[in-house]
Amino acid sequence: MVLELISFVSFINYYSKCVYTLSNFSIYVYIFYANKLVVQRRWIMSTTLKYVTGLIAIILIWSVISLIISSDLILPSPVKVFQTIINELSQQRTWAALGTTLAKVGIVMLVTVIFGVFFGFLIGLSNTLYDVFRPAILIMQAIPIITWLALVMFIWGIGWTGPVVVSILALLPQTILSTAIGVQTTDKRLTEVAKVYNVNTSKVIRDIYFGSIIPQIIGAIQVVIGNVWKVVVVSEYMCGDDGIGVLIAWARQSVAANRVYAYTFIVITIGLIAENLVHKYTKRLLEGWEAA
Amino acid sequence: MRNNIGQINVNSTLVKVEHLSKKFDKLSIFSNLSFEVEVGESVAFLGPSGCGKTTLIRMIAGLDEDYTGEITRNYNKIGYVFQEPRLIPWKTVYENLRFVIENDKKIDETLKIMKLDGFQDFRPAKLSGGMRQRVNLARALLNDPDLLLLDEPFTFLDLHTKLSIIEDILEGKNQRTFSMIIVTHDVREALLMSDKIVLLSNKPTKILEEFDVAQIPKNIMDEEFLKRESEILNTIVRRWSEV
Repeated sequence: MVLELISFVSFINYYSKCVYTLSNFSIYVYIFYANKLVVQRRWIMSTTLKYVTGLIAIILIWSVISLIISSDLILPSPVKVFQTIINELSQQRTWAALGTTLAKVGIVMLVTVIFGVFFGFLIGLSNTLYDVFRPAILIMQAIPIITWLALVMFIWGIGWTGPVVVSILALLPQTILSTAIGVQTTDKRLTEVAKVYNVNTSKVIRDIYFGSIIPQIIGAIQVVIGNVWKVVVVSEYMCGDDGIGVLIAWARQSVAANRVYAYTFIVITIGLIAENLVHKYTKRLLEGWEAA
Repeated sequence: MRNNIGQINVNSTLVKVEHLSKKFDKLSIFSNLSFEVEVGESVAFLGPSGCGKTTLIRMIAGLDEDYTGEITRNYNKIGYVFQEPRLIPWKTVYENLRFVIENDKKIDETLKIMKLDGFQDFRPAKLSGGMRQRVNLARALLNDPDLLLLDEPFTFLDLHTKLSIIEDILEGKNQRTFSMIIVTHDVREALLMSDKIVLLSNKPTKILEEFDVAQIPKNIMDEEFLKRESEILNTIVRRWSEV
């Protein structure tokens, strides 16, 4: 395919000396002299360059669709959205809202991971406890967020507590279950070694069970960080009194689609940065673990 | 047979198995199996693959308690050399040994005896199969066992590594007296490591014959060793074809 392209390009540029092609995320440079290939170079795109290429592609597609639709109410152009982002970021209320949302995300993460891992560990150690609690956890997992929102609004009304509680309830079951399954799938051959050598229980829990569930805990953290933003913002939208979700709700009421997109863009950016940071750190941790 | 806690009489029975029977669903593994292992004695159970050798050793170790009959255990501590090394993958060699006993001086000594010094900070994945099996053995010896159980410990090892580890085991046995129960399907391993070879049949497993090999020189190049090996092999072929 590449060779065909070269032949074609070199044919129409018979006297030209240089041909560039882009294929398979690599840049190929072919230098011809007297219609003969004399130099061939290939630069493989770095990961960052691939990301940038992907983002540019999204913006281009967005611009084209926005031009076709021609309605700022449905899809404002990227330029308009970026202008709104700059405008919003220059305002105190955006930063205040962002701070509130971030604080909620932090609390939800902390409670979900600490309590989820602790409780998951506990029920994972005992088959009876696991069987007793599993139906409740599965039901909790299946309940739609909207139901939690309704219930929370009945109890706490509009405010700060609602979004935090709803987010915790939505993310906790997954963390509990993955930790419990991690404990249950601990290599029984290692626990047999402990039994043969009369190793005390606390050491077995610390050195075998806890060691075994590290990959599951990391997996759970990655899942939580990937979802926590969405859940918190939705909860704020429905029952919060402050935060990015509330700003989106206000923008919707004012029929300001560009602001909806701008806030969403801000949330996505922070979410992706947080996810990437966690992923990078945990990947290093996991590599150390798996190298074992 | 124990005088005091921690002291076991020489010339007494360390493990006594009486009328042992076990079934997996409807399949009978053992039926009315009885034998004894004396203090300081090394017994090798030689049986075909799948005859239940590992199950037998697990029952003696107390890891499998689903059986009928009686197992009398007069030992305080055991060492178990598993078929696969069973090391904690995320811990170093040193930490794996420390998991069993928190005595750094003793660990250092054992590492030296087992030719593992210099590898204490390695994780199991960085070690060869032979080295991992050495750690498995070091862990077993570190426990100061009265009884060392060996479950086909050389299955995945080459001859050189196998002989070297056998030498270490026998040296360990000379230094600290313990009994050994080895299960294997390899006549040479059994001859090298035991005083008595117990020949097992296929399922339902029963004892076919016993060979006293205590006086055989433990050297695979020795003529007497080779002669005895050949005799036992002939008996095995004959007895297993009869069953």
